[in-house]
Amino acid sequence: METWTKRIFLRPWLCRAVLTSTLAMGAMLASAEEVKPLIEPDVRPQKVDESLIDTENFELGTFIGVINIEDFESSVLYGARIAFHLTESFFIEGNYGVAEAGKTSFEKLAGNVELLSDEDRDYTFYNVGFGYNILPGEAFLKGPFSGDTYAFNTNFYLVGGAGATEFAGDNRFTATVGAGYQVLVNDWIALHVMFREHFYDIDVLGETKTSMNTELSTGLSLFF
Amino acid sequence: MTNSFKRIVCFLLLSSMAFAATADEWWRFWSEDSVTQQVKVAQPYIDLRSGPAQGFPVILSSEKGEWLTLLKRKTDWMKVADHKGREGWVAIEDLLLTEDATGQPVAITEPRFDDFRTRRWESGLQMGEFDSTAVNSAYIGYWMTDNLSAELSGSQILGNSSEIQMFSASLVHQLFPRWRYSPFFRIGGGQIKIKPKATLLSVDNSKNSIAHAGIGMRCYVSDRFFVRLEVNDYKVFTNEDSNEEATEWKLGLSVFF
Repeated sequence: METWTKRIFLRPWLCRAVLTSTLAMGAMLASAEEVKPLIEPDVRPQKVDESLIDTENFELGTFIGVINIEDFESSVLYGARIAFHLTESFFIEGNYGVAEAGKTSFEKLAGNVELLSDEDRDYTFYNVGFGYNILPGEAFLKGPFSGDTYAFNTNFYLVGGAGATEFAGDNRFTATVGAGYQVLVNDWIALHVMFREHFYDIDVLGETKTSMNTELSTGLSLFF
Repeated sequence: MTNSFKRIVCFLLLSSMAFAATADEWWRFWSEDSVTQQVKVAQPYIDLRSGPAQGFPVILSSEKGEWLTLLKRKTDWMKVADHKGREGWVAIEDLLLTEDATGQPVAITEPRFDDFRTRRWESGLQMGEFDSTAVNSAYIGYWMTDNLSAELSGSQILGNSSEIQMFSASLVHQLFPRWRYSPFFRIGGGQIKIKPKATLLSVDNSKNSIAHAGIGMRCYVSDRFFVRLEVNDYKVFTNEDSNEEATEWKLGLSVFF
């Protein structure tokens, strides 16, 4: 004969009631654990999105200066420059410049002689090469009125490259070496003072010789 | 609806979506109230320099737990502002040790060798000799598969007696796309324009077709850059009795995207 307790639990309706009540108790306990914060924050934590950060590795600028075209006087030089900064030290740069050559001493002394046509006196060059920021530093300037001292980042850099020079009717392979001093007015504006030597072989005055052309220029460039 | 029509509609839809996405990105990029990107210093301290190079002095330090706002990037340096609005430049390698708002290491990807293997575009400048005359050249290439790419290149060869301009299209096959030093074969054709120097007797500029084949090597350096060395053999198809041949070598630096 079955006991009294057994008889109770064999009743299906009672079993169901016990089971559901325990489950409900459990659920209530679980929900009680998830305490909600008093103020629900509006913003969810954001991951850093790299694509939204502005990168400024390109530098685009113009320059104006003087170029000494060997045998043909010194002339005003205009040009444009683009640079891409690979690392903090290394950069690649490309330059394009135009000038108009003057007259040789011979042409001036002899009077009515023209060695080159006007068109052939147009001097244009391009070069591409590497640069290296050898001395990064700071320049300090005292404001004229307030007496505040301003600090500007500077770079002294060396450049070397190759390209071509079109002058006296021909396009000649040209090697360039030089140096420059860059002053960053702010993060994205820079002033440059540049010195470059352009070498190429020329035979306009008879025999072939290596012509050395010194460029001294100053420029403004923007980073983007 | 025909299949091709469907394809066109699909393409238009997708491209407009892509355009919308980029436009949105640009808008967020330019708008004043763009999301401020912040990182939390997780290492004991982080140095802020006055400029984006090791040579500039350290002007500030932020300690563990401080939040820095990311402003802009130049090469491997990030300009940041601290909670007082003071600005300075932090090296990317230091920034990689910081956490973002979710508590995860900050997700800034450095171009690595893995990216070199999966590059799609590459472009570079090269210099060398073409038949013992100086040559300057530039090229751009697109990778269709891991092994095969199509390239367009232009060269300027400046000799004593002539200036040569050359344009060519080529197919480049690299044997081992996973290698750091990756050899390749190159084959193609194009056109060559020979301009004799003005000081010589004036001869008409001549245009000729060329075909070329060559071998070369790409050597991954770091970041997005690799060095490329190649040797090519050119055949110039002239109107004369015999065709001309020339050998060229070039060395240069390339960037990949």
